[in-house]
Amino acid sequence: MSSTAPALRARVPRLAGAALERARLTVVPKRTRRRTSPVPFLLVISMLAVGGIVGLLLFNTSMQQASFAVTDLQRQADALQAQRQSLQMQLDKLRDPQSIALKAQRMGMVLPDSPAVLDLRTGKVLGDPVPATRLDPLRLLAPPPTKPAELDPPAHVTVVHPPATRHDAGNSTGDTTGDTTGDTGRRSHDHSGRAGRNDHTSHTSNTGHSH
Amino acid sequence: MPTSSPRGRSGRTPAARNRRPGAAARARVRRSLRGSAPLRLRTGFVFIALVMSFFGARLVQLQGIEPEKYATLAASTGGTVTVELPATRGKILDRNGRALADSVAARMVVADPVQTRRKAPDLARFLARRLHVDYFTTLRALTQQDSRFAYIARRVPASLAVRVVNAATDAGYRGLATRNDPLRIYPDHDVAANLVGFMGTDGPLAGLELTFNKQLQGRDGSETYEVGAGNRIPLGHSTVTPAVNGTDLHTTIDEDLQWYTQRVLRQTVLGARGDSGFAVVMDRRSGEILALADYPTYDASNPQAAPAKDRNSLAMTSPYEPGSVEKVLTLSGLIDAGKVTDRTRLLVPGQLRSGDRVIHDWFPHGTIRLTLAGVIAQSSNIGTAKSSRLYPPGQLRKYLTGFGLGQRTDIGVNGETPGLLPSRAQWNGMLQDRIAFGQSVSVNGVQMAAAVNTIANGGVRVDPSLIEGRATTNLGQVVGTDEATSHRVVSQNAAHQMTQMMERVVDPDVGVAPSAQVPGYVVAGKTGTAQRVGPTCGCYNGQFTVSFAGFAPADDPRFTVYVVVQNPRNGGGGGTVAGPAFSKIMSFALRRYGVPPTGAEPSHIPTTW
Repeated sequence: MSSTAPALRARVPRLAGAALERARLTVVPKRTRRRTSPVPFLLVISMLAVGGIVGLLLFNTSMQQASFAVTDLQRQADALQAQRQSLQMQLDKLRDPQSIALKAQRMGMVLPDSPAVLDLRTGKVLGDPVPATRLDPLRLLAPPPTKPAELDPPAHVTVVHPPATRHDAGNSTGDTTGDTTGDTGRRSHDHSGRAGRNDHTSHTSNTGHSH
Repeated sequence: MPTSSPRGRSGRTPAARNRRPGAAARARVRRSLRGSAPLRLRTGFVFIALVMSFFGARLVQLQGIEPEKYATLAASTGGTVTVELPATRGKILDRNGRALADSVAARMVVADPVQTRRKAPDLARFLARRLHVDYFTTLRALTQQDSRFAYIARRVPASLAVRVVNAATDAGYRGLATRNDPLRIYPDHDVAANLVGFMGTDGPLAGLELTFNKQLQGRDGSETYEVGAGNRIPLGHSTVTPAVNGTDLHTTIDEDLQWYTQRVLRQTVLGARGDSGFAVVMDRRSGEILALADYPTYDASNPQAAPAKDRNSLAMTSPYEPGSVEKVLTLSGLIDAGKVTDRTRLLVPGQLRSGDRVIHDWFPHGTIRLTLAGVIAQSSNIGTAKSSRLYPPGQLRKYLTGFGLGQRTDIGVNGETPGLLPSRAQWNGMLQDRIAFGQSVSVNGVQMAAAVNTIANGGVRVDPSLIEGRATTNLGQVVGTDEATSHRVVSQNAAHQMTQMMERVVDPDVGVAPSAQVPGYVVAGKTGTAQRVGPTCGCYNGQFTVSFAGFAPADDPRFTVYVVVQNPRNGGGGGTVAGPAFSKIMSFALRRYGVPPTGAEPSHIPTTW
């Protein structure tokens, strides 16, 4: 191309010169272009532009609205999730076998000693059902922590010998508390053991037992 | 070419200019107000260049001279926000899907002392009342110097934390915020705590929490996005790394049964004034551990309150000599080897020489006539040692290995002891006499329970398991019910004979443990009273390990229960201390799982002749 263009230009002025240039300019029919009014075109363009801008604005606004809604709903979901979890925690607390057992025991319920099964087909009772008793109940709570030696000094007990009748009454209550912790075979051990930490108390309980 | 053409063009341009005036004049007439095209073009270009150079200068200023300033400015006005997407730690569940360990969303409340210092006393009072924190600690945190960060409260339930901080903001206090701080809760406190373990501030510290941490923890994600006025900018730049939640761990533990077993165990250990104890409840067919209770135990929600030694599972980590329960294994092997039957008649002397030592029975007697069933029912050391001499060399060890002694059960508990079964090289006649009745061999609790369960299961040992399905430990070991295998140790006939013999143990007339009976059911079991090896001297220190292992219903066993109490100080033995606990736990398990009595009669095979 670069080689042909100068060659063409070199030839053309020699042939026509300014005449050719003038002829070119006059060929463009300006009347026809003037005849069409620019208004419709401008109208279309401006409508497009305005429409685009308005559409974009609306779209943007709706996106913003959606974003607000998302943030809002997310916050709501988080709150509900937190609420669900705290309710679940409450439920877990209520469902804890320990708390159920404590409530049941407070209501006076006891564990059966002997399971019995009723066979629905034959109507027969399997096993030997025995009424549940309150003897030897299940101890639900941990014993209180033992105090350190400094806080638990040996009790100073002075042994006096009151009349026999009074002594008996006092001792029998002591025995029944011992009873609830274990079976009868263990009773005497329980006593000496509980008192085993210091000699003074073991003295008193021993005197109690000797009766 | 390029050299010739400029010369040619320059020669012609003046002519072209001379010829243009006509056209130019006409253009000037028409568009005189707008100026000539080249002029307008040039003006335009200059204008654009001017604008562009401003942009360029601004770009250099922003990117080259002070980039940090604008970055911080953007960050401080909340341009982009990075939020952590915390992975939820997997739950630890019991066999019915109830949570033994659960994670809940919680927040930490933090303060910026620079902002809170002015109203610190009022704010501290407000927080102390609403968050139940210490007033003075809070006051100190709120007035800290040279810091823009202070913890006020940690692991506060999310709803409470957000409510309190919002209330504080409404009341005009500035500088409080909440951050994510997940909370691990143990709804049942001490139930299965020795197995489940607990979490420290930064990670798991013990138990299944530690062993299966990789599976449980998951991976945190994060999200970065642009915000304006507290709302996310739509179509703004954002990157998301999603969080990967931890996987739940399903155990075979039955929460209620575990709770009951723990309570009975505590009552038993305290009642016998023992040091410690444990109890195992095992499903006979599948080997699943339904309960594994340890005493002493601790509250997993508050582990600091208990000494460290109470926080692991002694049943799994502390080896002990099983004592007479071992006789079940020795004699069922001997029956399987065809050397004896349950009715074999034995002359049991008052004492038996074994090398340079003498073996005694727990009760003094002269020469008595016991059947093999009598040896079990009366728990005679001499009878067991004497009959075990019928084993060809090495065979007892092979049977004991078959029962699983000396090997870890690999149920997924950290620090499990494999126990101690003397090697073939150490094995000799004297040792075998003692091993026959449960001395000079040590085991862990689940090992022994699984060994006795072998008899309940007709001679086929099923691997015990604690994990439902399959799970991988941090060390890469795959454990769980899917991995459990089973193999025959003794014949069905040998197991049946042993069961019949064990039924005699709970017989009130001929056995030593009538208190282990479960009303309405036929129970087979065996007591154990073993001397305890002291922790320091390596010798018997005068303490005892008392135990009872058994299964019910004896003719079609459903559960194997094993109860062990260490160092009872009430003078009780396996029958009187562990027997009643066995009875209670077994009774509860049978009732809970609706196992009807089979209506069978306990065996009446003779114990003497």
